[in-house]
Amino acid sequence: MAPRSSASTTKEKLIGGEDEVLQAIILADSFNKRFKPLTTRKPRCLLPICNAPLLEWTFESLALAGVKEIFVVCRSHSGQVKAAIAESKWSKPGSGIKITTILTAKETYSPGDAMRDVYTRGLVTSDFVLVAGDLVSNVRIDEVVRVHKERRKTNKDAIMTMVVKESGVNHRTRSKGDSAVFVLDAETSECLHYEPVDGHPKKSTVQIPREILAEHPELEIRNDLIDCCIDVCSAEVPSLFQDNFDYLDLRRDFVHGVLTSDLLMKNIHCYVLKEGYAARVKDTKSYDAISKDILSRWTFPLVPDDNHPSGHVYEHLRGNKYIAKGDTVTLSRTCKIGNNTLIGSSTQVYDNAIITGSVIGRHCVIGNGTVIRGSYVFDGTVIGPNCVIEQSIIGAGVSIKEKSTVMKGCLLGDGVMVGPGAKIEAFERLSVKPGMEVQMDVEEDSEDEDEDKGDDDSEEEVEEDGLTEDDTELDSDIEEVEKIQDTLKAKLVLGRDSNALVWPRGPILDDDEEDAEGPDNFTNQRLVRLADNCSDLADSDSDNDSDASTDSNSDSDEIPIEAGGASLLLSQPQTEFKREVKLSLDRAFEEGHSVDNAAVELKTLRMASNVPLVHVRTGVVAAIVDRIPIVEGNPGEQRQAIGKMIGRWGELINRIGGIDGVETVTVLQAQCASSKRVALFGPILVALYQQDIVDEDDIRGWHELPVSQGVGALLSEAEELKRCWTVGSRMIEQFDEQESSEEDDDEDSE
Amino acid sequence: MSAEPNPVLNLPAIEVLTSKLRRRQVVGSRPAALETLILLRQVVAKARFSNIEQLVEIIRTVGRRLVQAQPKEHSVGNTVRKVLHHIREEYNTATKGTSAAPSTTSFSISKFISQGQPKRQNTGSGPNHHPQAMMKATSTWVNHVPAPPQDGRRASVQINRKEDVQQEEEDDDDSTDGEGSSAGPSTTTGQDPDAFAKGLKPVLMEAIQDVLDELETVYDTVSKNAKDHVHSDEIILTLGMSRTVEAFLKAAAHHRNFTVIVAETGPSYSGHAMAASLSASSISTILVPDSSIYALMSRVNKVFLGAHAILANGGAFATTGTLLAATAARTHSTPVVICAGQFKLTPKWNLYHEYGGLDFGDPGDVLGFEEGLLTDGVDVVNPHYDYLAPELIDAFITNDGDHPPSSIYRLIKETYDDEDNDL
Repeated sequence: MAPRSSASTTKEKLIGGEDEVLQAIILADSFNKRFKPLTTRKPRCLLPICNAPLLEWTFESLALAGVKEIFVVCRSHSGQVKAAIAESKWSKPGSGIKITTILTAKETYSPGDAMRDVYTRGLVTSDFVLVAGDLVSNVRIDEVVRVHKERRKTNKDAIMTMVVKESGVNHRTRSKGDSAVFVLDAETSECLHYEPVDGHPKKSTVQIPREILAEHPELEIRNDLIDCCIDVCSAEVPSLFQDNFDYLDLRRDFVHGVLTSDLLMKNIHCYVLKEGYAARVKDTKSYDAISKDILSRWTFPLVPDDNHPSGHVYEHLRGNKYIAKGDTVTLSRTCKIGNNTLIGSSTQVYDNAIITGSVIGRHCVIGNGTVIRGSYVFDGTVIGPNCVIEQSIIGAGVSIKEKSTVMKGCLLGDGVMVGPGAKIEAFERLSVKPGMEVQMDVEEDSEDEDEDKGDDDSEEEVEEDGLTEDDTELDSDIEEVEKIQDTLKAKLVLGRDSNALVWPRGPILDDDEEDAEGPDNFTNQRLVRLADNCSDLADSDSDNDSDASTDSNSDSDEIPIEAGGASLLLSQPQTEFKREVKLSLDRAFEEGHSVDNAAVELKTLRMASNVPLVHVRTGVVAAIVDRIPIVEGNPGEQRQAIGKMIGRWGELINRIGGIDGVETVTVLQAQCASSKRVALFGPILVALYQQDIVDEDDIRGWHELPVSQGVGALLSEAEELKRCWTVGSRMIEQFDEQESSEEDDDEDSE
Repeated sequence: MSAEPNPVLNLPAIEVLTSKLRRRQVVGSRPAALETLILLRQVVAKARFSNIEQLVEIIRTVGRRLVQAQPKEHSVGNTVRKVLHHIREEYNTATKGTSAAPSTTSFSISKFISQGQPKRQNTGSGPNHHPQAMMKATSTWVNHVPAPPQDGRRASVQINRKEDVQQEEEDDDDSTDGEGSSAGPSTTTGQDPDAFAKGLKPVLMEAIQDVLDELETVYDTVSKNAKDHVHSDEIILTLGMSRTVEAFLKAAAHHRNFTVIVAETGPSYSGHAMAASLSASSISTILVPDSSIYALMSRVNKVFLGAHAILANGGAFATTGTLLAATAARTHSTPVVICAGQFKLTPKWNLYHEYGGLDFGDPGDVLGFEEGLLTDGVDVVNPHYDYLAPELIDAFITNDGDHPPSSIYRLIKETYDDEDNDL
């Protein structure tokens, strides 16, 4: 960037001058299923918020920031995304923005995979803005980019700037399930440590590495920031993803990985927003919060009556009510429209209906005496007379017949029909039964042309490919759901002629999906689910604390699962690492790698997974021990086998990055004690001693440790440990004897 | 407009300005008016038209798009209206300038002001009324007539003009614009369709340049008579950061010694900048919190305010807090004077107190986003403007002289053409 002053930079950008084009990458896939079943037939970025698709809000946010070239990376429902972009005002010549859609493979399961794809395609050449396809923001990102570039001039290692917003701990827009603690240098606002905080189980402590405190005189440890997920990245960021193939999530893996890595030596900075608004629609709870923020104008000038991304025109009335302009809305004289409500064009509201704090789409019909509170009703939905709808999201083309009740936190997928007289419990999720869709499509065609056009217009092969694959994925989902329909339906009154399929609460379904998608995605899925449980509309409506008490029904079956999930989560990277070590060693053993090569491979693994050295040692020792064949009843041969094994591979134990004989012996003991090879402990130890992998002092050191005697171990293992310890004692006795005899020898010689 | 879409409407600059307006990247009456003018100049320069009606339609279409993009920035619409008015005026002068008596149909602002309702006067008023304005109008034309070397084109323009004149002689003057121009295309068909445009363009550019000049010098012209309004040792109250008021007070300070009390004007606190600027040019300035406006009002001799828009009923939109000051002034019978350029004259009413007209902004200025839970339970509003009813205002000082609220409607009628009130 040639121009020096910021003013001239921005000006030139606005004029569309010659200087470097600001690029942005939108990850238009959510890589999770928090919005199911609303997202079964539509990608999340096309869900409307305040009657405009999320993607449009994102485009507008980027346009506001002077971005000139946008790459939209999409995976599922890519045809729909493409069609939506083609239809929108952004693809018109005058928009000044070039939008390119990038289709990634179906195997892209995480933002990390998407970034690797970005790298392989070589999309970006300079600093770029990375956002998700569900961003709502009015931030001057160009200012952040300027700061980032300025910093890059002096410090080439500053690879990324994250935009965060001050909000206070308990802000509605700050997701409780999925927040983080940032440790920042007060002066340079460099991010020194990043620790994700899960809502469940509640995390009350954060561990900050001591070096950080030692190196920086002034620190800010902040738990009041909203992570806007706007990242200004240098061109090398995608390549980092490429190098570290295990980075999945942008924050938990990438940021955490870069900050903790002692190899990369890269810095990440934060930009704390003083003014401006930015947030991501990550889940149904933030959907609710951001809708409210838009309606109460926090996103100004991105508000319905001013700069509505879809170009609808609304009139702003007292109390933040927005009614579509142009006399298409029919409001009965006796209906009541409460504060913070938005009503789309051509919607009819009949007598005595009450709508407060809600968003009603276009072409909707609200019947006599119906009450809608805090809900989001998408386009073309018909709600019959005398219904009650509380804090729910109702999809497009839904039909709710008279006298139905939808309790809080429900998600009704597109085209669902319920009632009359249906009673839908809180937090229920409904979608259309596979067979009944046709009917719904017809209905939707007439009422919601825009959306359907998106589907119909898709002509390219790729799209069709994508759609069918989506369908198969969807079908498997639905099959799962259908299997358990009977039990689920028992609880609900759906009314006759309902075409609804009840989705299970809790994570039963997700478990199956995880298997289907492979273990690579395990962490991600679990995190998503955790967040989901906390941030399902359930929590958005009542506080987290009160939630547990008020909602015994849904919580009783969720809490234990969450707890289990958490413990798994903690141990998960470890087990995964063990597996990796084992695989790597298996390969080494089978293919006869040199010790050097094997050691290098293990080192890389350790760096990538960021585990302490002891785990590597455990892995190596375990692998070696497991490889030693047990020869029954022939101590000599057995010893020979051990000697051969240790002779070939024993050195590896000390080549993995540090020598600690005491630890080696401890690990060996634990390994032998927990397997059938207890008897081999002695011989192996001897062999190690003979190969100079452990020396006498190490054995003595180990011997003195209380743990070695089985103190604090489980009963079953204590015995085995004790046995090993006795073997050790015998060896030490031998050493003593040897020493005395040596002394004797010395004396003799003299 | 004719069926085929005019290529000039696809000008990228139009899209750029509409999105800038929509995104509030152009804020403030004067910057918006300036940008609009520059865009219109571009449009006129590039437009292809064969009669005045087409040109008017093009400008109206552009104007409509700009206004729809940001209905709350009134100066955009005003500028478009003014340009239209000037174009018609120049056209009329031009068409009549050579064949008929130049004075009969020339409409100049100064003449409207001196003579009132322009449309009613059919008979030729004396050329001695405003010789300067006449001179200008005719001279521009005279300059340009010999300019185009191609005789054919010039001839066609001449024909046009003659046609128009004949038409107008038959018709009432009221319908001049519509009828007169409709005759244009019939004569130009078969000839170079651009000839009309080529002949007229220099005049039109001149007209737009006049508006631009007026806009650029607006602060100076408003504060021309500042010393007549501010007397020595007066205490003057003002709110917010109005460039017009700033220039006005500074101009007055050349001749008089007076004290200015500036209210902080939350939540923008633009009063701080105002106070700093005034005291920098050695005016004795006092910065006070908004809450003490009422208490201080008894000592204040005059209240000078800036405006965002002046409405046809004599009311005005002005920075939040001005309603408070004006009401306090009313209680103490302190005169309230609004300083504003003419481009803020808006042919609109606010009889029903349109709520949205106040232009509500981000509540973050009033209650911080970091307040967390509080923002959930409280509805916070942050209007940019207050509506001042005409009863609260004593006088408007514009670059076109001083006016009471009751005569604003007339000023508006003279500045714009009635048919443009709805773009």
